[in-house]
Amino acid sequence: MLQNKLSFHQSSVSLEIIGLPDYSNNEDKNQISIISEWKLNIIDKPLIEGKIDHLGPIMSAFYTYSNLLITNQIPLYESNLIDIKADNLHMHNIVLKSSKPDVKPLIIKIGNSLLSDIVNCFDQLNESSKVQIKKSCIFNTFPKKVRFPLTNKADFFNIILPPIISICSLSLISYSLIYFYNPIENKDKNELINPK
Amino acid sequence: MGSFFALSDKLKLNDVLPNKITIWKLRNNNPLRKSYTNNNIKIEEFDALIKITAEMSKYLYPYIREILQSKEDPKKNSIVWNSFHKRFIELINERFNTNSVRVKKLINKTENDEMLIKSLLTLSLCISKEGNKKLKKYLFNF
Repeated sequence: MLQNKLSFHQSSVSLEIIGLPDYSNNEDKNQISIISEWKLNIIDKPLIEGKIDHLGPIMSAFYTYSNLLITNQIPLYESNLIDIKADNLHMHNIVLKSSKPDVKPLIIKIGNSLLSDIVNCFDQLNESSKVQIKKSCIFNTFPKKVRFPLTNKADFFNIILPPIISICSLSLISYSLIYFYNPIENKDKNELINPK
Repeated sequence: MGSFFALSDKLKLNDVLPNKITIWKLRNNNPLRKSYTNNNIKIEEFDALIKITAEMSKYLYPYIREILQSKEDPKKNSIVWNSFHKRFIELINERFNTNSVRVKKLINKTENDEMLIKSLLTLSLCISKEGNKKLKKYLFNF
């Protein structure tokens, strides 16, 4: 069966996705839902290719790493498949590890320009209506701070503690005032002021 | 300002940004500017500014990329970086309150490289169709 091929280009980088539509879901013949192969071609660098199992983790690695880089966190990503770390502010070191034994890891050095080209190619793939991939694993790569700003314990206590303290202090003061207030004495005073 | 307004027109943001004066007022919300005025920015206006910024970075991507690339090889004479850096400092001196400590940091040649690289990288990563959403997330995380 003839496979579909889709390419995404950004300056010096191109991403090629090869696969088939899912006919059981009545998909269009130009669609790709079953990815059999993908190729990431960076000019002047070795070709990176793999199966669908590798695409998600690699995309996730690049997204996570770029987020770390621009949010002033330590730019380091490590996994069984890929390591990315910063050499300096401008250069990044990618180590691609093969799942096959006796195959040496592939080391590629890229600059900020190539990093943004690669991420933009992945963005195009994510936004393409012609390719169906599990997007949940890729888009949830933003640091927790962004996704759940209120789950941060310190923030949560900062929000909830001041009103609780103010309510407690208000009730304590009111209770102490009630203790000093004598309704019988007050009634006598009122009678003296307004004698019937 | 003209290109800003033309982009808002192209993105059909006329309801939120009907004229150049609205855009000018919004830009003056930046406390680092000389002409700073404290107006409350509405969420629609904030979103509109994000959309325009993402759209601008899409147009300027080749230039942004070239500036980033010019810094990658220290052996190369980075004419592109130097001209960008010079123009950036000129604009900051012209429009921002240079008495402020934060602005002084922005124009300090030895300290501002990292800030500039990270800002350019952020813009270069937000050029896709949904780049505005990405840029918004990055800004919330700053």
